[in-house]
Amino acid sequence: MRVACLQENLAKGLAMVSRAVATRSALPVLANILLRTAGGELTLSATDLELAIGYRVGAKVDEDGAITVPARLLAGFVTSLPPERIDLAVDVRTKSLNLRCAQYETSIKGIDAVEFPLLPAAAPDDPVIALAPELWREMIEQVTLAAATDESRPVLTGALLRLEGHTLILAASDGFRLSVRSAELPREMGNVQEVVVPARALQEVGRACQEEPNEPVAMSISAQRSQIFFRAGKISLVSQLLEGSFPDYSRLIPTGYVTRATLDTAQFRDAVRLALFFARDSANIVRLRLIPAGAGPRGQVQVAASSAEAGSHVGQLAAAVEGDEMSIAFNARYLLEALNVIHAEQVTLEATAPTRPGLLRPAGDPTFLHVIHVIVV
Amino acid sequence: MSRTILHLDLDAFFCAVEELRDPALRGKAFAVGGQPETRGVVASCSYAARRHGVRSAMPMSRALRLCPGLLVVRPRHGAYHEASQQVMERLHALTELVEQISIDEAFLDVTALPEPGEAIARRLQARIRAELELPCSLGVASNKLVAKIATDVGKASARGDGPPSAILVVPPGSEAAFLAPLPARALWGVGPSTAERLAALGIATIGDIAAAPEAELVRAFGKNGYALHRHAQGLDDSPIVTFHEAKSMSREVTYARDVSDERALRRTLDELADDVAQQLHAAGKGGLTVKLKLRWPDFTTLTRQESLPEPACDAAAIRAAAHRLFDKTWERGKAVRLIGVGVSGLMDPLHQLGLWDRDWQREGRILEAVRELQKRYGADVVRRGAPE
Repeated sequence: MRVACLQENLAKGLAMVSRAVATRSALPVLANILLRTAGGELTLSATDLELAIGYRVGAKVDEDGAITVPARLLAGFVTSLPPERIDLAVDVRTKSLNLRCAQYETSIKGIDAVEFPLLPAAAPDDPVIALAPELWREMIEQVTLAAATDESRPVLTGALLRLEGHTLILAASDGFRLSVRSAELPREMGNVQEVVVPARALQEVGRACQEEPNEPVAMSISAQRSQIFFRAGKISLVSQLLEGSFPDYSRLIPTGYVTRATLDTAQFRDAVRLALFFARDSANIVRLRLIPAGAGPRGQVQVAASSAEAGSHVGQLAAAVEGDEMSIAFNARYLLEALNVIHAEQVTLEATAPTRPGLLRPAGDPTFLHVIHVIVV
Repeated sequence: MSRTILHLDLDAFFCAVEELRDPALRGKAFAVGGQPETRGVVASCSYAARRHGVRSAMPMSRALRLCPGLLVVRPRHGAYHEASQQVMERLHALTELVEQISIDEAFLDVTALPEPGEAIARRLQARIRAELELPCSLGVASNKLVAKIATDVGKASARGDGPPSAILVVPPGSEAAFLAPLPARALWGVGPSTAERLAALGIATIGDIAAAPEAELVRAFGKNGYALHRHAQGLDDSPIVTFHEAKSMSREVTYARDVSDERALRRTLDELADDVAQQLHAAGKGGLTVKLKLRWPDFTTLTRQESLPEPACDAAAIRAAAHRLFDKTWERGKAVRLIGVGVSGLMDPLHQLGLWDRDWQREGRILEAVRELQKRYGADVVRRGAPE
């Protein structure tokens, strides 16, 4: 292999694919990145056998070839090189990758490319869904925050991806909160399809969308092989799907409310962030009081937190409050994480009882909802 | 305006209570505490035993070597607790400003009372003697620090075979002079290691500390240097604390013989966790941190703790955390001398409800019903129990 590319492009690609490198694996080659040239392109790949990320680097290829080299060393090293042209060559005899950049000459020991697992590719006849990267990114951000991080119910570490008619739905729940986001599809899908995608893979897709903001991001699902593929510009991503069926979440979404507050999203977010300083020592508990307009023209939402050691804090936010006065307590971190991904100017909070889950939605936007269960004292 | 603080200390308290039960013990050398063969220690010893060098906190086996005829009396904590309460009631009858610091010691702030401190002390001592037949000693001074040291000095200078029943008054203005000749060890916060380091600086008495430049003490002892310097001059403005909010709750046991059997250790863990849960329950609190304490036969002690996502008050959660800590700390077959379970980070118990809990809607209704009951009949009418 003999190929030349720019340090900047190679560094970017290495950083991206490094995220799929196995951190602890019995297979040494999985700690490496595969560099391969074919069809006049240099491709970088890494995988931990659950997730694989590939990246096409703009390059001038003189001679085809392939090698794998340790990911951490290569990525760290290339990032530190000066922003100039890098010449790469594989020494087949010593199984090493030679790099020349500016005044530096380097040889990095690798492992033969044949040792690297074959990465699955999307079948050409799998139906493809292409959506704007910004939409993918927002959907993924809004949903994956609710996915479980502990493995006690593996299926909950993923997000449900459901295709039905003209709609794509992403949903995730760690048992304490639930995020559901829907989007309109450009064309109608055939049969209803449901798969569970690891939240980690989706988060990488979100990152890829940020990297490649200019072209639609394509997704296809291979149901038989239980894999999902994404392509975002130079980046390709394959993930294994999670086994098991996602529990029916529809019954968790409160229907109707006793009290509904509509308030400024940014103000609410700031108030919860401030309350968190005092909630930290007391299991993150933040107490909300939804007070309908009585004597005054408008209602208010009080956001209060206290701890025996730190002290106490209360914020008073102007809000439109319908229904009965209600006191309800949440984990401030859950509330803040949800408010961080609601981009509408106003947010509504619906509550049925201090012992029932609360429902957050961006005002006037039916495509996103977030359910948080309460803390009871 | 200068304050008047009394420090009261019941003389050989447990022994005095035992003598009430069995007057034949009067004048005899005896000690209340655990049996020597089960590694008991002396909890309290009679003045006759003290003359042989027996002291509290000493292993009982050693006390018996010092005083071969020593009678060992099994402690009856219920009786001591009851007697202590009766004493404290008499203190509270005098003023609200009572700070109980242990089962047999308390501070009183009597500044607001019309009589001089010494007269109040004499009356109190006489009353406790007459009504409860318990001897006590008192120190009277302008602050807690000097009052307590006054009691200690009064007791130490008492003559005769019986209890000291001392009263020592340190008039306002003479605190520093009173403290000056005493050994540095007599001061609050001066333990063996501080005393050693003071000695290395050529400081033997409290007067020496008072005379030392503050900067030198701060250099040697950091922040504590300031307090040391102030205290040595008899200055202390700490108030009478009438209410202590518990910061932690714990239970521990020392085994009569070292235990290395896993099942026995785990059984103890369960019992301790249940005890702590009961304490929490009684206080209406939950704890965010569970702590395990283990002591090996060579007396090295280690503690390990785990933070919980929400304050636990049920035995099951505390048990589970204690066992997890035990798994991480104990090696199979290792002998354990002492084992303890504690909970800290106390706060009102609360519970994050789960969306997938099969019966969350039912749980919600139960909670509402509980709340309604508590509103009507008080918080104690019903509480969350522990699933068995």
